[in-house]
Amino acid sequence: MRRPFTFSLLLATLATLPTLQAHHSFAAEFDTSKPVKMTGVVTKVEWQNPHIWFYVDVKGDDGKVTNWGFSGGAPGQLMRRGIVKKVIQEGMTVTVEGFRSKDGSNNANGARVTFPDGRSVFTAGSEDRAPGDGKGK
Amino acid sequence: MKKLCLVFAVACAGFAQNQGKMPDGKPNFSGTYEWPKAMGGEQCRCSATIFDRKLFAPLKPGGEPFFEPHNGDPRHDEPRDFCMPAGFPSGMLSANAMQFFQTKDYLIMVHEFQRMTRVIPLDGRKHREDIEPSFYGDPVGHWEGDTLVIETTNFKRWGLDDYFYTDPNQYRMHSDALKTIEHIRWKDQKTLSYNLTIDDPKIFTAAWSQEFSIAAKPEWDAAGLYEYVCEENNRCPGGKCQGK
Repeated sequence: MRRPFTFSLLLATLATLPTLQAHHSFAAEFDTSKPVKMTGVVTKVEWQNPHIWFYVDVKGDDGKVTNWGFSGGAPGQLMRRGIVKKVIQEGMTVTVEGFRSKDGSNNANGARVTFPDGRSVFTAGSEDRAPGDGKGK
Repeated sequence: MKKLCLVFAVACAGFAQNQGKMPDGKPNFSGTYEWPKAMGGEQCRCSATIFDRKLFAPLKPGGEPFFEPHNGDPRHDEPRDFCMPAGFPSGMLSANAMQFFQTKDYLIMVHEFQRMTRVIPLDGRKHREDIEPSFYGDPVGHWEGDTLVIETTNFKRWGLDDYFYTDPNQYRMHSDALKTIEHIRWKDQKTLSYNLTIDDPKIFTAAWSQEFSIAAKPEWDAAGLYEYVCEENNRCPGGKCQGK
């Protein structure tokens, strides 16, 4: 059974951010003043270096469906955490938390993915950040 | 020892794999490891290890600038977005697995991040002459008892460490006069002592050192290192980060 889609874009600036890592500059690409939390259905997964990308159809409050792209860690980093490709597959309903891209596109870092059964995996690169972890400055 | 190994089979497997000796009696560092970690001090706003500023020698008056501010050019401000190398020592401190392969004449260090590979001759040769400075420098190693000493020279000017994740506005740089000296030895059955000296007379008034630990991870041997090809699906080609 598919859950109703929810969409929320949280614009509150976070006072505390976690410490993570990846090959790219998180600060250059993502806006920590724009945390996002969205629920939708996975439409595509690119399990490739230097960062995985996965895409999610998200229905807004107006009923319009938007396809969002989320950047995660490197496949090797994730696999060493026990997160393998089959963890995120097309057709799955997921809730993704991260920060929106600075360029205003429908992209964000996908830091944390939660499944309908409550399981949650940390999908960010190790230099990326996730909302609300309370680490770092 | 054999009886103990029967009782503590897992621990002894790690010991045998990670603390064996080479045929010539030198320590054998072959194995899989975590990246070097500091025992305290300055922490990065990332998972990578960075140097502790409290250990730095004073900056040389009139020397080359240690900090390099961003200038708005993406290729300058974040070269790794364009798959440029992390270089040494920055790449060595990146938060990824490493695998070492050792023969009588070479130690090969392969780091999962960017598949950084350092080939370190142990056969007594001198540094190469008349080659261009490089991101990873020119290493040669020798033994001092059970400690492997690696001296690396001939670097390009490049980022010293991942400090820019802590302060995204600037890099901490090393100069082309950098010489690094690594001292590697077994500290205990599953840990390497890794002491790294930064000797950069264009920036610092004296050489300084920091002690790190490298944890052996024999449990990672089965999976081995994973491929890391930055160009595969990089989203920042041609000077501009792109979306989907």
